[in-house]
Amino acid sequence: MINRDLNQYSGHFSEYTELRLQENRNNHISLVNGDVMGNSVSSSSGVSSRVYKEGNWGFASSPDLSDSAVEYVVQSASDNVRFMNDRNKMQCGFILPDTCGHYEMDLTTQISRNSQKQWIDFLKDIDDYIQKKYPNLTSRTIVLAGLDMEKSLLTSAGSTSYSMTPRGIMYISLNIEKNGEPVELMDVFGGLGQLEDHFLDPAHFYRNIDSLVDHLSKKADGVYADAGTKDVILDADLAGILAHEAIGHTTEADLVLGGSVAREYMGRQVASELVTLIDYANSVEGKTCPVPVYIDDEGTPSEDTVIIKDGELKSFMHNKDSARHFETTPTGNARAYAFSDEPLIRMRNTAIEPGTNTLEEMIAAIDDGYYLMKSSNGQADSTSEFMFGVPLGYEIKGGKLGNAIKDTTISGVAFDVLKTIDMISSDMTWSAGGMCGKKQWIPVGMGGPAIKCQVNIGGR
Amino acid sequence: MPSQYWGSLAHLRDAEIPDYCIEQLIKAGADKVQCVYSQGEKRELNVDAGEFSLFRTTANHGISLAVIKDQKKGSLSINKINQDDIDEAVVTVLTMATSSMPDEAYDISENQPAKSFLKGPNEPELEKMYNRMEEFMDFSGSTFPTTIIEQAIMDFSAGTSYYRNSNGVAFDETGGSYSFSAMFTSKEGEDTSSFNSAGFSSLDMDNPLHEGGSIKRLLKESAEHVRTKPVPEKFTGDIIVTPDCIMNFIGFFLGNISDYRLIAGTSLFRESIGKAITNGLLTLHSTPLSDDLSGGYFVTGDGYEAANATIIEQGILKTFLLSLYGSNKTGLKRGPNSGGSLIIDSGKTALNDIVKSVKQGVLLSRFSGGSPSDNGDFSGVAKNSFYIEDGEIQYPISETMVSGNIVDMFHNIKDISEDNVNFGDEIFPWVHFGGIIVS
Repeated sequence: MINRDLNQYSGHFSEYTELRLQENRNNHISLVNGDVMGNSVSSSSGVSSRVYKEGNWGFASSPDLSDSAVEYVVQSASDNVRFMNDRNKMQCGFILPDTCGHYEMDLTTQISRNSQKQWIDFLKDIDDYIQKKYPNLTSRTIVLAGLDMEKSLLTSAGSTSYSMTPRGIMYISLNIEKNGEPVELMDVFGGLGQLEDHFLDPAHFYRNIDSLVDHLSKKADGVYADAGTKDVILDADLAGILAHEAIGHTTEADLVLGGSVAREYMGRQVASELVTLIDYANSVEGKTCPVPVYIDDEGTPSEDTVIIKDGELKSFMHNKDSARHFETTPTGNARAYAFSDEPLIRMRNTAIEPGTNTLEEMIAAIDDGYYLMKSSNGQADSTSEFMFGVPLGYEIKGGKLGNAIKDTTISGVAFDVLKTIDMISSDMTWSAGGMCGKKQWIPVGMGGPAIKCQVNIGGR
Repeated sequence: MPSQYWGSLAHLRDAEIPDYCIEQLIKAGADKVQCVYSQGEKRELNVDAGEFSLFRTTANHGISLAVIKDQKKGSLSINKINQDDIDEAVVTVLTMATSSMPDEAYDISENQPAKSFLKGPNEPELEKMYNRMEEFMDFSGSTFPTTIIEQAIMDFSAGTSYYRNSNGVAFDETGGSYSFSAMFTSKEGEDTSSFNSAGFSSLDMDNPLHEGGSIKRLLKESAEHVRTKPVPEKFTGDIIVTPDCIMNFIGFFLGNISDYRLIAGTSLFRESIGKAITNGLLTLHSTPLSDDLSGGYFVTGDGYEAANATIIEQGILKTFLLSLYGSNKTGLKRGPNSGGSLIIDSGKTALNDIVKSVKQGVLLSRFSGGSPSDNGDFSGVAKNSFYIEDGEIQYPISETMVSGNIVDMFHNIKDISEDNVNFGDEIFPWVHFGGIIVS
């Protein structure tokens, strides 16, 4: 538990200053074919300070949380910005926008905490279920991973915040052999909350396991996708990664300044009028998002960023420095992963707004295409050209689901693909374990409804 | 750093901290213990959107404990180094071990002669770091005016790790090195290239940053990539994979000869020691002790002194990269190191001559692909790449996919260039493959 009230340190501030105390705690257990391959806990805590002056930043951190260490770190950050100011005088006179807010959020579970033995027994139960019911599988990997991210913040503008944001995840990966070659499929469960909030009873996951094995068996008998531009339905997992990777990153203001194609598109129609795409700060229609942010790590109260409204590009995501550059207001997107990391512009919970169609209607509307259900990884770049791995999908023939397909890849230019969206489902699902890498890794929320669009699909 | 940093352990020297942890754990009933205490500092300069933006200094330290009791194992790491936290960690990790399930494969490394290792400087030339960054920005701005340096990071990291275990292993490893990376995009009006990135590590700051790794070449290619078009047709042809991109494919082989896949039973090469897994043109080394690299390491994660090794020699698989646990679990020989620090032997053909030999193909500079299937099938987008026809590079391409099977692909190596790139952590040449689907 870290100190929630940092006001006692405000006397150390002389310039624009952020002061953050943080502890990240991890729990990780993995079972491979019933054997415990990993059984570990870790914690990493410390203090950091960032100081801004004349267009430059100085940052310093220490693993020590004592009062004298806090003073030392603030002084070091000030020394570091002085080092920059002495050499780089190109940005004199820059002043950051003022923001101020106060919020406390503690999402520590209200359920009594499990011991490590209970978690190992939990995984062993699931593994036993899989082994007994599906003896033909060639390998079983089950991973339980918990992350508690606890932060306290004080800024020279007077913002204060405390947050304990937990994430509890379980991965199940299964292999089967077909014609002498391994075939793999994985699913992820959990999300916001500590492990106890998601994994009380292993039996709750038996049905998910049955479904995973069913998909795996069909995939083992699957066909290669027919390469080319196709009508597809991207289920929530893939629609979410499209929103995050291909649109979200191009509209992070630091990447816009770095040359992203989105700069030229502001105010233009970049998607079908059905599309509204939002980076949600903390909740959607009263429901808390996977990564709720109320005050960001620069002390800015977080607000939803409507990136695309009815197909028109409306806004970028900002921290204070980019807001200064674009002469707008910060959106509360500045986040850091570890105590020793500086805040960067990061997405929070990025999704296309639900539409009005059912999944059944969308499948029925495709004569020759694919229903693509899961993503394995995804990459996009400054042009919005994207690539996602697809480990699970099915053919659609004559408006009906057909054969499963083997692992494939989809690609396209996101701002073109969004223009082809002609149906959006009315439901909304968040992916369980979204992580984003951009100098630092950080948890993100990705998800949304299913969308019907056209993409390039790989194959043979 | 404040003087009370160590709390009531202030009387201990750094090297004695892991000894204290091991002593406490053995007293508490542990059978075997490994402890690593590490401490280090980083100094980092950042450029964002073409402007100097940040100077960052970070200090950290930590203790990692691995404990075996009754052949059950628990692991714990903390970065609070005082007696109360260490004593609490001792209790926690021992409880974790006793809570787990037994596995005869758990073990720690046997006693080896104590050694200290040193590589690189322990303090940065800070002024030189700044000046080299400024020089790089001037170079890129004047030579490639349409290219935006989205972010450039130059850092110096140094630290010491003390490896100890209850069998008497005592290794001290001290090192320091610089690393530089840049991400960039080129723009002309509304025409935008794909982003690209490049980087390298070094033990000194003696040379301009744009001369390191592939940086100057990739900046030039980025500027050429503002206007692109797809390949003219779907075809099966050649790809020449650049040194910047080859790890996308080599990684598949490394995954198949390391712990997870060999233990899970999903490795394609379980029975392949001494057999050809690529054609004879490929020789791949893992050389953590190499003087040709600024990176590397001296001690493996499981407490052995690391050794250089040839992983694939003229296509023949020579060794797995198994840890002690992986070795005990599979009954196969433990690897001589923990992987990384890779060097692919160069060939005898100039890159220009390899290009001249391609009838139709792609110079693949960056691969944006899905994780390959367990059987090696892959597909992905050719980024920052060029179309080759009749032995000449024709134009930069976009919206082009390459696909194939990695195992088949490495049996179809046509040539390897004599040219190579030293990234500091690895050295790779250009590799010419046949039989790839381009669409």
